Amino acid sequence: MTGKGLARGLGFATAAAMALTQSSVGFVRDEGYYFTAAQGYEAWLRLLLHAPLQAIAETERYWSYNFEHPGLTKLLFAASHLVFTTWLGILPDALAWRLPAFAFAGLLSYWLCLLGLSRSRACGVLAPLLFWCAERTFFHGHLACFDIPICAMWAGVGVAWLRRSGPRLALTYGVALAVKHNAWFLPPVLLVHALLLPREQRAFALRRLPWLLLSPLVLFAAWPLLWHHPLRHLGAWISFHTRHVHYAWWYFGQVLRAPPFPIEYPVVVDALALPLPLVILLGAAGISLLLHFARLRPDPQRLLELGLAGAALLPFLLRTTPIFGGIKHWLAFVALLTPEAASLLVRAAPSARALVVAAVLTLLPGLWQIAHVHPYGTSAYGELAGDIPGAATLGMQRQYWSNDVTGVLPWLNAHCPQGARVYFHEVNVESYQTYVRMGMLRADIHYAPGPEQADYAALQWHREFRDREPQTWNAFGTRRPATGLYLDEVPQIVVYARPGLPGAPEGGR
Amino acid sequence: MGLRKAAFAALIAAGAGSLLFDLTLGLRLPSDADWAEAAGALRAQAAAGDAVQIWPAWAERARLFVDAAPVLAEEDPLAADYLGVKRLWVLSLPRTPFYRSPEGALRARGATPAADQRFGALLLRAWDLHAAPIAADLTASREMHEVDYVARACAPVAIGGRLAVRGAAGRVLHLRAGVIGERAYGAGKPPVEVQAFADGVSLGTLEVPATVRDGTGWRRLDAQVPGGPAEREFAFAVSSTDRSRPFCLQAWTTR
Repeated sequence: MTGKGLARGLGFATAAAMALTQSSVGFVRDEGYYFTAAQGYEAWLRLLLHAPLQAIAETERYWSYNFEHPGLTKLLFAASHLVFTTWLGILPDALAWRLPAFAFAGLLSYWLCLLGLSRSRACGVLAPLLFWCAERTFFHGHLACFDIPICAMWAGVGVAWLRRSGPRLALTYGVALAVKHNAWFLPPVLLVHALLLPREQRAFALRRLPWLLLSPLVLFAAWPLLWHHPLRHLGAWISFHTRHVHYAWWYFGQVLRAPPFPIEYPVVVDALALPLPLVILLGAAGISLLLHFARLRPDPQRLLELGLAGAALLPFLLRTTPIFGGIKHWLAFVALLTPEAASLLVRAAPSARALVVAAVLTLLPGLWQIAHVHPYGTSAYGELAGDIPGAATLGMQRQYWSNDVTGVLPWLNAHCPQGARVYFHEVNVESYQTYVRMGMLRADIHYAPGPEQADYAALQWHREFRDREPQTWNAFGTRRPATGLYLDEVPQIVVYARPGLPGAPEGGR
Repeated sequence: MGLRKAAFAALIAAGAGSLLFDLTLGLRLPSDADWAEAAGALRAQAAAGDAVQIWPAWAERARLFVDAAPVLAEEDPLAADYLGVKRLWVLSLPRTPFYRSPEGALRARGATPAADQRFGALLLRAWDLHAAPIAADLTASREMHEVDYVARACAPVAIGGRLAVRGAAGRVLHLRAGVIGERAYGAGKPPVEVQAFADGVSLGTLEVPATVRDGTGWRRLDAQVPGGPAEREFAFAVSSTDRSRPFCLQAWTTR
């Protein structure tokens, strides 16, 4: 098999693995919004097919929802749903919306494999495996969100910069730009990389940079919102992210609410959330790339990997950038270190057999984490944190995005009487509607705005929402939960039922 | 070559050690049967005035099983008031990672332990708190509210409002107060003041500033009650230039 064939195989295997394991993954809060956006954009696509001029004239009507993110991924979610669900009727809604995200996950494996293959065939196989063999990364690969897509494009732009023609570079960066605003940081990385190259390579690299000026055309084409009043919408997009709200985040027993955040925050969270062998390898890879950078004539690819990994992390070292979302906002930092991590693993092994043993032992803790914790990826912690119970004792963010609620939906379906009202806490209306639409929640179970209006409450354990539990006790007149989702004893979702209702515990205080 | 061998050995050790840690984690955690046994033991031994403190404080799965006494999740056993609790049953998971025993904190407050009882991975131990006898629980709130991340039986009082209650004077008035929920952390918000009176005589003022650091939001005032009648009219006047925050206070007297 050729190197590219291997990369393609790993890419397809990744996408297939995501598709096969997605059904249990809850709909995170942001997916709820993107599903809603995709439904609006699908309506626009249908209008485009029947009345193109009207569709072009009415872009703002359909595309103003979720204006804060570019259109490409949501357009792909919509197109996938239009084809596979609306027209062909062969995929359930959520799988159709998520399908493009699996493609991006596959692309990430493809590009990581290519970066690894430049070192050795074993590195080509190991680089994507190192990235995906952790519950946090594996979980994010399933979501119809932007974190894995932008991570993939981060690697893709790197590969295009190293190997592709100017037009391909422009197209790849354009796609990155049309996926998420993180892409704003890529041109400076490429410029610095070009300037640090040896003289003979520098001129060639600098001559390719202007191709990036064409990339905004992709952004414009894939985001119909910009087709009318583009400056206003671009301004709103940029303004949203430069003035982004700070969500409360629990970190070593203190809730971080506003800047300045600890400078070491992203690195420490990576170290605690990922499996320990991976953390060690990534740390060694970072040091190795830095040492390589100190050489007189650094290898262009390693230099670029260092730049891309560093650029993915840098905004979160500034102490003012919002830090919510676990490790998802700097996944590219992890990804771009994996080729070098794979290389270190290969170089450390004295023989092929020893490499297999070392690789298996390096990957197994991550595979155990996936087998043990999936689909509750936002709750996962590694061995350095003492796994989930250790992280709870350390006072680390318990979970986010509300998707863990899937752990109690079967109980609610089994116990709620007809027409019961459930307070779903952090689960937004959009995600609730998707659970109903997908048959994961009975359609007669209603969404209650608070415990006072509810018969049942499914509380997500968040440090900053601790007031909801006593509020529920006061409303329900009981302090005994009916059931819950506890991972290694640690509460994630706690369900209360009003006394006397099905499933409510008898007695108790 | 030596470095390569060392790196290889370190990788093997990290991988094997991590896997061992992961695979044995379940052995360090209680099973449903352990919880049920502990709950049964509490049912047989707990009496009025007892409470169960879970430890670590996150081990709230206990609430599914323990029905013989109130379950408390205080985070600081040294500073916690444990109002009305004569005997505290500490139900703990001592084999969990980074576990730190609450024993030192409880001993520091003068509590004395009874014998350990083990139920699999659970440890149950009763502590006599030797608490001063309560003269009157002045707020006696049946409602619970979260202040500083702990559920507290406190009475909500609107800022700008006043709570008046008649009760046994005792020797010491204990006043606790804080802003409910996340609004305690409003940076730049003015402090809230609670003035305490007994029969119109000021006993002191408790200042509750905006919380900066977690664990400091539940403020305390302990004031001597001057000699006089056995029963007094206690009053708590709550004031601040910002009245928008939900506020909660708890007060009692001890002999």
